[in-house]
Amino acid sequence: MARRNSFCDGIGRRDMLKIGAAGAMGFGVTLPQLLQQRAEAINRPVEDISFIFVFLQGGLSTIDTWDMKPDAPAEFRGEFKPISTNVPGIQLCEHLPKLSKEMDKLALVRSFGHSNSGHGPADHFMLTGYHPTAGFNGSLKPNNQKPAHGAVIARQLGPRGSVPPYVCLPKMHNSAGASYLGSTAAPFVVEADPNAPNFAVPDLAPPLNISASRLGNRQQLLKTVDRFQQAQEVQANQTAKTLSTFQQKAFDLMTSEATKSAFDIGQEPEKLRDEYGRHSLGQSCLMSRRLVEAGVRCVLLDHTNWDTHYNNFSVLKNDLLPHLDSALSTMLRDLEERGMLETTLLLITGEFGRTPRVNVHAGRDHWGPSSAIAMAGAGIQGGTVVGASNARAERPETKPIGPADLAATIYHCMGIDPKTEYKTVEGRPIPIVPGEGKVIKELF
Amino acid sequence: MPASFVMNRLTIFFLVSSLLSALVNSSGTAAEPQWQRINVDPSQVRLKGRDAMKQLLVHGQTKEGKWVDLTHAATYRSNADNVATVSKQGMLLSRADGAASVQISVAGQVLTVPVEVVGFSSYGPLNFANQIIPVFSKYGCNASGCHGKAEGQNGFKLSVFGFDPQADYQALTMEGRGRRLFFAAPEKSLLLRKASGMTPHGGGTLVSPDGPEYRLLKTWIGLGVPFGSEKDPTLVGIQVEPQARQVAMLQNQQLRVTAEWSDGSRRDVTAMATYQVNKDSLASVDKRGHVRIGQVPGTVAVMANYLGAVAVFQAIIPRSETIANYPPVVEKNFIDRHVHRQLKQLGIIPAGNCSDGDFLRRTFVDIIGTLPTASEARSFLTDKHPDRRSRLVKQLLQRSEYADYWALKWADTLRVERLKLGRKNAYSYYSWIHDSFRKNKPFDQFARELVTAEGPLNELPAGQFYKSVGSPKDWASTVSQVFLGIRIECAQCHHHPFDRWSQQDYYGMEAFFTQVKFKNTSRGEAILADGSPKTTHPRTGQEIFAYPLATEMPAEHPAGDRRTALAAWMTGANNPWFARNVANRLWAHFMGRGLVEPVDDFRLTNPPSNPALLDALAQHLIDHQYDLHALIEIITASQAYQRATTVNATNRIDEDNYSRFLFKRMDAEVLLDAICQVTGVEEKFAGIPKGSRAIQLWDSAVPHYFLKTFGRPVRVTACTCERAIAPTVGQVLHILNAPGIQQKLSHAGGQVSKLVARHQDSSDLVEELYLLMYSRFPTDTERKNGVNYLNNQPNRQLAVEDLCWSLMNSIEFVFNH
Repeated sequence: MARRNSFCDGIGRRDMLKIGAAGAMGFGVTLPQLLQQRAEAINRPVEDISFIFVFLQGGLSTIDTWDMKPDAPAEFRGEFKPISTNVPGIQLCEHLPKLSKEMDKLALVRSFGHSNSGHGPADHFMLTGYHPTAGFNGSLKPNNQKPAHGAVIARQLGPRGSVPPYVCLPKMHNSAGASYLGSTAAPFVVEADPNAPNFAVPDLAPPLNISASRLGNRQQLLKTVDRFQQAQEVQANQTAKTLSTFQQKAFDLMTSEATKSAFDIGQEPEKLRDEYGRHSLGQSCLMSRRLVEAGVRCVLLDHTNWDTHYNNFSVLKNDLLPHLDSALSTMLRDLEERGMLETTLLLITGEFGRTPRVNVHAGRDHWGPSSAIAMAGAGIQGGTVVGASNARAERPETKPIGPADLAATIYHCMGIDPKTEYKTVEGRPIPIVPGEGKVIKELF
Repeated sequence: MPASFVMNRLTIFFLVSSLLSALVNSSGTAAEPQWQRINVDPSQVRLKGRDAMKQLLVHGQTKEGKWVDLTHAATYRSNADNVATVSKQGMLLSRADGAASVQISVAGQVLTVPVEVVGFSSYGPLNFANQIIPVFSKYGCNASGCHGKAEGQNGFKLSVFGFDPQADYQALTMEGRGRRLFFAAPEKSLLLRKASGMTPHGGGTLVSPDGPEYRLLKTWIGLGVPFGSEKDPTLVGIQVEPQARQVAMLQNQQLRVTAEWSDGSRRDVTAMATYQVNKDSLASVDKRGHVRIGQVPGTVAVMANYLGAVAVFQAIIPRSETIANYPPVVEKNFIDRHVHRQLKQLGIIPAGNCSDGDFLRRTFVDIIGTLPTASEARSFLTDKHPDRRSRLVKQLLQRSEYADYWALKWADTLRVERLKLGRKNAYSYYSWIHDSFRKNKPFDQFARELVTAEGPLNELPAGQFYKSVGSPKDWASTVSQVFLGIRIECAQCHHHPFDRWSQQDYYGMEAFFTQVKFKNTSRGEAILADGSPKTTHPRTGQEIFAYPLATEMPAEHPAGDRRTALAAWMTGANNPWFARNVANRLWAHFMGRGLVEPVDDFRLTNPPSNPALLDALAQHLIDHQYDLHALIEIITASQAYQRATTVNATNRIDEDNYSRFLFKRMDAEVLLDAICQVTGVEEKFAGIPKGSRAIQLWDSAVPHYFLKTFGRPVRVTACTCERAIAPTVGQVLHILNAPGIQQKLSHAGGQVSKLVARHQDSSDLVEELYLLMYSRFPTDTERKNGVNYLNNQPNRQLAVEDLCWSLMNSIEFVFNH
């Protein structure tokens, strides 16, 4: 239970290829050696695994990035050209030049798709694995009918050190809530943009004019002023007990050097900050890495503006893709250099793809049925492509993979049994992954 | 020693009784309880038809006259297994025509039940909807997680919970290229091979080839899959036995479910029904209707569902230790009689009476959403009048903040949405609500005015409800949820899984609202209801006429504005929900927990925790012409409301039966106002006149970080659940650290500065702070600690700020208790 499972004999498809090659040529690693290496790399305690979800809200145009169709008619293939990457046979968009040099760390699922092309419900689908049911109200915050991945992870694995297990950055997406898992599984929300010049998490530190000694006095006083602080009756009341626990957590957060330091993005070298990119996405990616390093189990990075109905190509080329390129390529390299890639699951996706046929505004509209998602780390084989879409990226050509499969894969990587069930307030047991969800085995 | 004397007497009693039972039957042991009487129900059985079943129920009666379930403690033996078998759980199953006798051994006694099997040669006329669909329901095949979900499972789709037998029949018999059913060789049918695990099945192995379900399906396929005829009997209802019982912790109760059909026949469907418990911390139930009670005292309901018909077993679980001398409890009014009757049954002793300080703070926050000032607290705490509590409540009901606070609450539920309605319309809608509470308008009149609103909207602001909530379907479900406490949305697409509502019932409610439309007139936009739009059943196409829930559908719509008929039914004296729902909402507001919880989810399968109390509260409303003030007065006068929060050994884990006062987190607006009041520095809201308090905000979209962080609802649903009361770390951090709150503490014109200037004496200052923040005097220790702190700090202003900050961040301040 405390160890990750890998598939069947624990050997991935690529390993088999390597073994085959090595055996045929009579040198290189032996099978037992390889098994040993895999065991060391993969069978780490789940304690070590973290998850960074880069959510490109609005819907990244994957036909223009992860899954280009240069042979499709002009009104489908769009303006961009594909370029080679450091993995032979895999091409990416010409506007992702830095990322193309890190392709060996990244895996793509090109037969992804689902049934919803509306922002609110599709968001819920992607962030929880569950399609919303009747009565879904996207504008509620949170609007979760089912818990977000991060909430399940927080509930299942709990905090690691003094930092919260689940953090939303820079703000909370409406579907990032804990639903029936309750307030202890809810995200800690940063509510500030790490790219802002004087970035600080609101309320995390006492006002500037309150000295440390005064804070100490206040904390001491708080323990004595109130007749309930230690009383049995607080322990017997759910909400009062939660608040009292949170108060302790809040003090831990405020006084924890780990937290203070994790959020202090200024500690990073200027050069690295520049490489991530001096924009919200870049600095949020850097912050995500810092948080994971400090012990956060799941970071949900919510980045907006990907809803390119108008001028898809100029917006992507001039603004969005350069940001994505610097942020992701640097994060992949940085994680690897720090030895964190094997223990950090990275997922990059919007809520859906965009229409293969370019519209009259040189834009692309919502397209649930077909898109591609990118994943890396935590045992996923870089340079892998899973599945394919058809010639115009209208629908998956191979076995379709959907949000339920994605959820199963995330939990699998985190060492959580996808069949785990939690009960709703009414007592209805709901598995964390819908019944049809299957781990995407080809990634490993 | 008296204790050893008791022990001796007990030992002697056990010795004698074990001797006696040994004389009667050698299997008796000393530990076994002694039964006054043991019963088997029924005492004789007639099984009609093939695979007919009957659940036996064995009960023992204790010396105190209580019945205890022994069904699973007994052992069973049939003397003719070829005629009727009996399972370890006491379930009889027919095997052939003839007679048998079943011997039941329990607690040293042997009882005999004669069994007769007739008509075994046939199942009787087989009907797909009546006999086959229940098999799918029982094994979850048609549940929403499996073949019942919208897209089906691996190409095989059933209607969820079997609401559409025609479609299911089609899916089984026509689709899948006929592989699902082989008439000539039924056991080769994919249906049976998958269900019995012969062919790999994602849903697992569900039925055994030796079992009655397999035989039934096989026979049905062999007969050429009859759908059944229109003349076949239909289900009238189901009955669960026993219906209610007191069951001790860690004991069991076997249920029996009997279906009654339109031809008058009855059939035991215990094995085919599905079961669900409403509070799984208290009890669990298995597929055979065997209830196991846990270790938490309280009331629990177990629902049985068969073909969409539901029935409920209710258990009262007392604490395990009995209370020899239940202390006398004060009963102020009918509420206390009902609450205490239940507490005595449960073996829970309630907390005592709360202090005047707690009562003062509690009623201020609950009735007017406002903290008492220090001087109000001082004058109440020194008031010696015996009626001071009830007089306080009367005064509060007359204050202007009463309407502010209750208008805020109802503006949430009735969706005063500025973004949707526009500033002017939202404000006039809000003002109508505010005015209704200011005048204490009888609540039935309030509901009628809203439901039947007709005319120009600027003259009839209640009609804005219809603008804020969008369509006939939304109107029907919102009115049901808000005024009846019933959620009917499930029934839009399928029979409500946990209640009796069918799609016809749903569209019957919708039809009340289909005449509503908006029109531009010389007096502005007007709402009117006329014409005769038709409503049809989305599946059968049958015409549906407007009719209220749980009534018969008439042959035509009510004449004129159909909503008038709905409003009259809703607010009529015999309506089963309206008064109960209003009473429950108020009760939940004051007590922190509804008798039905959530407050807007009245269901057969979610029964009130104390039905007699709910009935009595509802009757009080009816008897007093829906006077909300009168109900508030009677609730706040009860001991149940005036309890302390203290915990004793008996009420520690009880949060359902009002044995102690529950902590309630203050609403976002109330808490913000409280912080402003105690610091003496008011808040400014964008676009709202200066000096407005947060509970006066008619627009829930006014941007405000504090209100957002503390869970102010955005008013896009009628659900009270929109107002989030669950604490978050962000909330805690905000009160601890927000610069805005520190500014209020250190404000030159604020309360702290005033107190520092006014009180040189530290003891006086501490007393004033406690009155201000907690509405009570400090205890001697608190006074001493406070004085010590103030006297030992170099800067008095800063020291008072620190003390005030600590009080503000305490549980005692943030919670209503």
